[in-house]
Amino acid sequence: MIQSPIRIPLIKGRKTYRNVTFDILDPMMNRPGKFWYLGISLSSAALLFGAYMIFWTIWKGIGTWGENRTVGWSWDITNFVWWIGIGHAGTFISAILLLFRQKWRTSINRAAEAMTIFAVICAALFPIIHMGRSLLAFFIFPYPNTRGLWVNFNSPLVWDVFAISTYFTVSLIFWYVGLIPDIGTLRDRIKKGFKKTVYKILSFGWKGSARDWHRHEITTIMLAALATPLVLSVHSIVSMDFATSIIPGWHTTIFPPYFVAGAIFSGFAMVLTLMIITRKAMNLEDYITVSHVENMNKIIIATGSIVGLAYITEMFISWYSGVEYEHFALVNRATGPYWWAYWIMMTFNVISPQLLWIKKLRTNLLFTFILSVVINIGMWFERFVIIVTSLHRDFLPSSWTMYKPTIVEIGLFLGTLGFFFTAFFIFIRVFPVIAISEVKSVLKLAGDNKPKKEDNDGK
Amino acid sequence: MDEQFKFKKLYRNILLMIMTGGLLFSLAAIIIFKPGASRIWANVLLNNQYFLGIALGAAFFLAVHRIAWSGWHTVLQRLPESMTTYLPVAFILMLLMYFGMHHVYHWSSFEGYDAVLEGKKAWLNVPFFFIRLVFYFIGWIALTWLMKKNSSALMNKSDITFHNRRKIFAGLFLVFFAITVSTSSWDWIMSLDAHWYSTIFGWYVFIGMFVTSLSFIILLVWFLKRAGYLKYIRPDHVHDLSILLFSFSIFWTYLWFSQYLLIWYSHIPEETTYFIRRIENFKVIFFINPFLNFIIPFFALISLRSKRNLDWVAIVASILLIGHWIDYYQMIMPASAGGQSVIGLLEVSMTVFYTAIFIFVVFKSLSKGPLVVKNDPFLEESLNYES
Amino acid sequence: MENKRYISVYFDDEVPLLQAVRKLIEKKETILDVMTPFPVHGLDKTLSMKRSRIPLVGFIFGALGAILGFGFQAWVFTVSYPLVIGGKPFFAVPSFIPVTFECTVLFAAIAMVTAMLIKSKLKPDKSFVAFDERISDDVFVILIDNENGKTTPENIKSTLAGIQTVEIK
Repeated sequence: MIQSPIRIPLIKGRKTYRNVTFDILDPMMNRPGKFWYLGISLSSAALLFGAYMIFWTIWKGIGTWGENRTVGWSWDITNFVWWIGIGHAGTFISAILLLFRQKWRTSINRAAEAMTIFAVICAALFPIIHMGRSLLAFFIFPYPNTRGLWVNFNSPLVWDVFAISTYFTVSLIFWYVGLIPDIGTLRDRIKKGFKKTVYKILSFGWKGSARDWHRHEITTIMLAALATPLVLSVHSIVSMDFATSIIPGWHTTIFPPYFVAGAIFSGFAMVLTLMIITRKAMNLEDYITVSHVENMNKIIIATGSIVGLAYITEMFISWYSGVEYEHFALVNRATGPYWWAYWIMMTFNVISPQLLWIKKLRTNLLFTFILSVVINIGMWFERFVIIVTSLHRDFLPSSWTMYKPTIVEIGLFLGTLGFFFTAFFIFIRVFPVIAISEVKSVLKLAGDNKPKKEDNDGK
Repeated sequence: MDEQFKFKKLYRNILLMIMTGGLLFSLAAIIIFKPGASRIWANVLLNNQYFLGIALGAAFFLAVHRIAWSGWHTVLQRLPESMTTYLPVAFILMLLMYFGMHHVYHWSSFEGYDAVLEGKKAWLNVPFFFIRLVFYFIGWIALTWLMKKNSSALMNKSDITFHNRRKIFAGLFLVFFAITVSTSSWDWIMSLDAHWYSTIFGWYVFIGMFVTSLSFIILLVWFLKRAGYLKYIRPDHVHDLSILLFSFSIFWTYLWFSQYLLIWYSHIPEETTYFIRRIENFKVIFFINPFLNFIIPFFALISLRSKRNLDWVAIVASILLIGHWIDYYQMIMPASAGGQSVIGLLEVSMTVFYTAIFIFVVFKSLSKGPLVVKNDPFLEESLNYES
Repeated sequence: MENKRYISVYFDDEVPLLQAVRKLIEKKETILDVMTPFPVHGLDKTLSMKRSRIPLVGFIFGALGAILGFGFQAWVFTVSYPLVIGGKPFFAVPSFIPVTFECTVLFAAIAMVTAMLIKSKLKPDKSFVAFDERISDDVFVILIDNENGKTTPENIKSTLAGIQTVEIK
């Protein structure tokens, strides 16, 4: 295979295969720096606070939240959708970019997939604790019981149960299958001790045999082919929690693809937030290059524009429909008591990513980092606007009310952030953060030591 | 590398014959069977939309691949480029709708007071409708022409500025197209059911356009290979085209199903009338639509071997071309021609007429230069592409 | 030189590895295994590996998942405990699709990964010993069958003359 000379090298520094192994494994095998300790302390503190808030919610009940009869869903479901959305980038990078043969994914897919798993765990917390009687959460699964009852398969909430469970399982499997050869690499670098035994077990006896690689590659491609429609279906089903209703602002046919685009949008922003820090902290700048950041930014422009397009469509159609309740829903969002949330959403989600059309900004790491945080804040507000503004003033004016979060709800959200970052900090110490064997397989083609043409008849 | 498609007299004559035949049979159908004006003009609209969609889908294919630095498609980019040259023809044909639109767009000919239509009058009025129409086409034609001009320039002089400029126009086209494909499908198709609305509609029509376009590209590759050209297009390239056809057919189905499920589930009368009209009066067509556009491509293209076999993929592409024509039919006919709709001589011959025109325009453009864009920085990569 | 059950040839790059594999196949040597730090493009074709049937496993179990998922929902809502939900019919096909799809994906994914692990004999094993710990880093190895003492390292060396190897033993 030949690569066009105008392509930018994806792996810099004229690396050899051995360089790849040690560049990626060294930061894990040495002692962590001060920054790691500081980071994990902060995130663990948030996690502990969140754990206490979970206990408080279950012990005292949902009354400790700010929700009321009109606004039945608020921070809980906002957080749920926000976290699931973030998780989608991992699957997009692993699966969809693999199917589109984008070699630049090899430096970021492992970390992004891990991010997906942690994000889905954070997300899953909310449906479970918002039930009130969380200890009876197993009711959501269809199992034979003495009441002769089954779950309501007609309900999107049940579709969610299946979608999220499947998504978590498949993401976990996909991540782990990819990880097996790299654990083998790690196992072989550790000479002896308890760590070696642990990695021996986790590596499932991987020996690098060509037949195993063949099966592994095919399984990976097949999982990618499955994960692609899966990622589309999961966030579509989440959007159907809203779209199958009759509430203006909730019931609109564009929700499934629009939510998926928004999920990829916020997910990539989170990947950028994590990767810009990780590449610096673990000296992986030769692998996660500015070119990678630029490519991720391009996907952000694309998905951000799709989200913007969806907003314009909704605005237009709400007028075009001639339905006064739809008109009101839009007007209330933009000028009602939650107007500030709406305008944060609009500026952060629609205007800011458009700045990435400028190449200088696309390739600037500081700007990208700030923008990625801005986008995630904007996307949180998007879900908040959709959920709360549509609920707090719907058909019956006598039911109109306001909503304010309590410290318990805020604490739960902070707790999930704590869990997410703690898990990520642990992950980077325990498993290789970049897919070692995948980078090696594209090293010749995409690295900056281009092979001479004669070498290519080793086909 | 310098091979050029010869638009032989034989092809020219066959196409002209088919064109004339199509036109004559259409006229015969009108004279003999006396279909209503609604049905005639609905067919004009259907064919306009169908072939416009193929041309726009081709432009989208090029723009998105160029802006993504994709290499594999480079060797066949002249094919979709020549498909985009149909856009000016589509423009003229759409302008013809001025003469027949009151038969098809009931909002334009409605006498009396309808509260819903009154509310939409600012958007759905004939002058603004045509201003928008002109605006869309000017943008599409200009941007595709600019992309094509840079490709031609690149063929004559190996200068990377042409490639870079082409990428800029690709980006501009994508932004303009993203907005206008939605607004144009609201104008030209959704407004047929003037009391109805669906926010996903524009995206649903767009993906249908893209799949139809891919199918046409595949058939064009098949035809040219049979005629002895394009020897450098290998199963590896066909594989990637098939993957796109397969996955976007599934994506189309997902959009079709989402629209249906959400409207069915919420059961709001303003919205459900759309589907009730189709399922009660156009039942067979309505259900054949997902069968042809999902079941067939899904099972026919799921295996690896099938994706690499050009003859097999060409058959699937042909079925999809028919399937998406049926999709447009069930979008357009129930609201415009309503009870008069039938798939008869008029429908078939008009489509044949338009097909011949479209192929004629494509062949003409294709023959105007080498089949490969020399000096394209991704050409070597594309020729040696392995998948 | 004692006769060993196999002869191993070491390389430090995949290009000579592929050339060597081709040469050895020409000379009708039986290659037991080739071990590499990453999947080498073209190796499976050169070794005439039969294409894995894992996708077929995925398709079959996916179909099974679809049938079970859809069938179960249909049974629940028509036979076991029919309930009128939102005015919809008992056999509500559009409602059943999302769960059916998820079951399809779940069954297919788990089946394929299980098949991969079983066929490659991968399982948690704390007594595993790597053939050579450098393989997972940057070393490529061909294992040639020498069960009946058919050949010697010197033979192999001369067969592979001109190809850059690191070691033959």
